[in-house]
Amino acid sequence: MTEMLPFKQKSHLHPALTDPAATSHVSNLLGHWLNTNFETRGIAECVITQDEDGVLISLIGAETEWPDTRATVLANLEEEAGQRSVALMATFDLGFMTAETHIRVNKGVLVIVLYVTFGDDSYGSNYLNREFFYLAD
Amino acid sequence: MELGALLGTWINSNPDTNSIAKLEATDENGKLELRVSAVGPDGFVDWGVAEAQVFAANTEANVGAGFTCCYDFGFAETRLQGMIMKGLLVLAQFHLFKDDSKRASYFLREYYASTHERFLQS
Repeated sequence: MTEMLPFKQKSHLHPALTDPAATSHVSNLLGHWLNTNFETRGIAECVITQDEDGVLISLIGAETEWPDTRATVLANLEEEAGQRSVALMATFDLGFMTAETHIRVNKGVLVIVLYVTFGDDSYGSNYLNREFFYLAD
Repeated sequence: MELGALLGTWINSNPDTNSIAKLEATDENGKLELRVSAVGPDGFVDWGVAEAQVFAANTEANVGAGFTCCYDFGFAETRLQGMIMKGLLVLAQFHLFKDDSKRASYFLREYYASTHERFLQS
C-alpha cells in the first residue's frame, strides 16, 4: 500500500527521541582528534568543544584553512559503548568550496564524512570522502 | 557525471526499520532523482521525488559514488547523505524537527541493497 502522507507521527518514532536527554550525550565526541592517516591531504586534526552556545568544530586542514563552524547536534539511534550518543552535522563554507559533513564516534573512532561541492569545475569533480580520527588527549 | 552505480531500486537490509524502506533512483536527463518510501502507520509513505546532488569518489573521477538530497515537510526536514560502499548504499539520515513538539532531531544510518533478479533465474 502506498499513500501520500506528510511524514510519520510522534507515536511512530523511537521513544528515545522524546527524552530531553537524547541530544545531551556529547561528551564522547569532545576533544582533540588526530587523523589516523598521517599522509592525508584533507583534514589533519579536529577539535570539538562545547560552550553555552552549543558545539563548535575546529578543523585543521593539511593544505586548506577551515573556518570554525557550529554543529547541529542530533540524537544518534546507534549506541556507542552501551550508551545512546549523538551525531553532529555541520556545513563548512571555505569560499571556493563547501563541505556538508556529519561526524560521529564508532567504536572509539571519530568518523568525519564529507560531501564537498566546488564553486566552479576548475577544481575537479564534487566528491565525497571519509576520514578517521583517534583521540589525542 | 556517470550515474550508473547509483541507479535502481534500493531496499533496506533491515526488515524491521521504522524509517526509509526503499529508494528508487533514476536518471532524468543526466540528473539523479530519488523517490523515497518510508514506513508509516498504515503502510508505506511516499515522500515523492527529490533531485539529488551527485558526488564522485575524488576530484579526478567522473563516476557517481554518492549523493545528497533534502526533503522539506514543513514541520520537519530530512536530509540524506548516500554513499556506495561494497555494493551497498549506506544512507545517513538527518531528521530535523522544526515544530515545537519537543522531539529530538535525530541521526540514523542504514544499509540498502540494490534489487536484481539475476539469482531468481533457473
